[in-house]
Amino acid sequence: MTSIGTGYDLANSIFSPDGRNFQVEYAVKAVENGGTSIGIRCKDGVVLAVEKIVTSKLLKQSANKRIATVDRHLGVAFSGMIPDGRHFIDRARDEARAWRDTFKTPISTADLASRMGGYMQAYTLYQSVRPFGITAIVGGFDSTEAAPVDGEVGSGPSCGAGGKVLGKTHGGPFLYMIEPSGLYWGYYGAATGKGRQSAKAELEKLDLGGPAGPALTLEEAVKEAARIIYVAHDDSKDKEFELEMTWISGADGPTKGLHQEVPKALREEAERLAKKSLEDDEEEEPKEEKMEE
Amino acid sequence: MAAMFSQNPLMNGPNYSYNDAPRVNAPEGAREHRFDPYTDNGGSTLAIAGADFSIMAGDTRLTSGYSINSRHHPKLFKIGGTTADQKDATIVLSVVGFAADGEALKERLDAICKMYRYRHGKPMSVKACAQRLSTILYQKRFFPYYAYAILGGLDEEGKGAVYSYDPVGSYEREQCRAGGAAASLIMPFLDNQVNFKNQYIPNSGEGHALQERERRPLTRNEVEILVKDAFDGAVERHIEVGDGLQMMVITANGIEEVLLPLKRD
Amino acid sequence: MDHRPQAWGRPRDDVYGAYDASYLHNNGPKTATQSPIVTGTSVIAIKFKDGVVMAADNLASYGSLARFTDVKRLRPFLSTSVVGFGGDVSDMQFLDRHLKELATDEAYEHEASSTTTDEGGSGAGEGQLNAANLYKYLSKLMYRRRNDFDPLWNQILVAGLDAHAKPFLASVDLRGTTFTSPSLATGFGAMLAQPIMRRYAATEEDAARLTREEAVNVIKECMKVLFYRDARSLDRYSIAVVTKDGVELSEDEQLEKQSWAFAERIRGYGTQVV
Repeated sequence: MTSIGTGYDLANSIFSPDGRNFQVEYAVKAVENGGTSIGIRCKDGVVLAVEKIVTSKLLKQSANKRIATVDRHLGVAFSGMIPDGRHFIDRARDEARAWRDTFKTPISTADLASRMGGYMQAYTLYQSVRPFGITAIVGGFDSTEAAPVDGEVGSGPSCGAGGKVLGKTHGGPFLYMIEPSGLYWGYYGAATGKGRQSAKAELEKLDLGGPAGPALTLEEAVKEAARIIYVAHDDSKDKEFELEMTWISGADGPTKGLHQEVPKALREEAERLAKKSLEDDEEEEPKEEKMEE
Repeated sequence: MAAMFSQNPLMNGPNYSYNDAPRVNAPEGAREHRFDPYTDNGGSTLAIAGADFSIMAGDTRLTSGYSINSRHHPKLFKIGGTTADQKDATIVLSVVGFAADGEALKERLDAICKMYRYRHGKPMSVKACAQRLSTILYQKRFFPYYAYAILGGLDEEGKGAVYSYDPVGSYEREQCRAGGAAASLIMPFLDNQVNFKNQYIPNSGEGHALQERERRPLTRNEVEILVKDAFDGAVERHIEVGDGLQMMVITANGIEEVLLPLKRD
Repeated sequence: MDHRPQAWGRPRDDVYGAYDASYLHNNGPKTATQSPIVTGTSVIAIKFKDGVVMAADNLASYGSLARFTDVKRLRPFLSTSVVGFGGDVSDMQFLDRHLKELATDEAYEHEASSTTTDEGGSGAGEGQLNAANLYKYLSKLMYRRRNDFDPLWNQILVAGLDAHAKPFLASVDLRGTTFTSPSLATGFGAMLAQPIMRRYAATEEDAARLTREEAVNVIKECMKVLFYRDARSLDRYSIAVVTKDGVELSEDEQLEKQSWAFAERIRGYGTQVV
């Protein structure tokens, strides 16, 4: 990179003459070394999945969770420096609580993404700090009912002034990805970390966008997410990894509006299918070679 | 209370049908604190020291006003064991008065006794525990624990020890003590039956020459019967006493707990 | 221009006399809740063999005015317990929000300490607060507030299961007084409903023999008696049944089979003179 030796990469809050903040770009490098994280926004919820690289056999299996809950209805997955991610989650929980203290209602996914985007951006502005070495994927399901108010005692007027608007829908599943620069967008499907390229390629094949909204259901998304993490995993670099998956549905779905770990049985089934599909692909490739011969 | 039955409710502000209704009797300009942090939850306790045992007892009724809140609310607590179930405790605390303060007092003393055990590697003696309890009570001299406490155990010589307290920490070691709602009913009975007050040897003389009956330590069996009789009597004459009798017998072998029925009327 | 900002905007001394500056600082006693304002009446609850039934009507009164008629006073906690509130409604709302925060923090803790995926993050699990834990927390909170002379003006019933999965029911009030019993009632319910409930569950053993259906019927009967005789009550009420399977909460029950025939025999009120 041209930055080396120019001095513009030594401090945060300094632009290079061609308008780049090298510290932020280095932070992105840290993210690119982290295990893959993906998020899928589907018809009835959001699925988050992480390729948790096992760095030592001395670590207990399935301990040290990488995906965290914020409030009850939001989930955060991240790739990059784990301590930075932990701090990011602490701050997100503080933001969610502060929102509840002020507005007596759960924070929406968009608002949390906005606040956390602003927080990360602030770490690109000062000499005294360095940017976050993570890219975070924030998924959530905002209540489809009119926003519930904490401590409310009655249901209020059923319609009309001060009451509910008939037929009006609210909320739904949302997915955001926040980068070290503080940049954040809403996504149909998001991927970051070392396997992001192949993961993105796989995500693009899914039916997530379109004017009618995503066609993919939660259960399908769980299976796709597992498969994508397996596809994105590079055996030559890291031998061992664990698949960690969480999901969020609406109040009428399997998680009742809460962010929860995907049940063991479903996760294992998804992993089985993912491994099978990888094996199938491997079988196909030698065949093609033979045909060429 | 007046507003509850009155046909002429207070006209200044919302009206209340219970006895926490605001009373308008504050002197001009004075700011009235309407919240009374205390209440009396009734009940009675009793402790008697024997030669090599102590017996603590209390009824299990919890009242507020004329209502019985609970028929089984123990007033006796084992103190300073190593575990939550107090299996190896050697000291018993009884509290009567305001139940919430009693509970808080018990938890303070228990925590302190446990800390003592961790730091010194031995259980607290009753004597030390008794002094510490007095200090705890006096620390809240100006917002007292409204609780009449009695502490029971065995002293360094293995003799039964009973310490009784007022709510702000005055205490003394005694042979026997009754506390709580029916204390005034039970105490004279105890004076007569434990300390043999007003018992004289017949025909031993006239006037001042009359000889007092000689005091002797009571046996465990005698004391247990005495306790039951004292409470059966108190139940008849005091509405805040009844339901169940919880008794703890502290001996060198540990603490035995007995639960007997009392009248539930 | 007066150089002291404190004097700006105040009446001129030469016109109105010396300004009473005591209004500027507030050295008076700390102001705290001195009395309840909008209140809920009785909460009643009874244990049965595998759980607890609790009920409270949906009325919040402003003194004798039936002010709010759609106030839900039974609150589920973590789908393991139910908390019923009598007394001040704003303090109830404060506690409700506080418990919500507690539940969220507990979920974070639970997640951080969970080392197995066996639970799959589903509902109530090991390490979660049970009703007895919640009750201990609430009673410490209430007692602390009374010590600060800033009480939360409520009497609270907590129902659920304890650490041994046995039915749990207990009460705490604004002074931090705590007690438990096979059946409990706050406010007027202590006078009117408790004697009825004690007929069915005088002891823990009696309560352990009651079926769910019997317990629900006793509670419904008591709610009817309370509506007949408690002037600050309503015929719409909430009823909750909590068992090991969670909380079933119905918030819009209507009192059934009322009979006001006895009213005919009441003399001495209104226009009836004989």
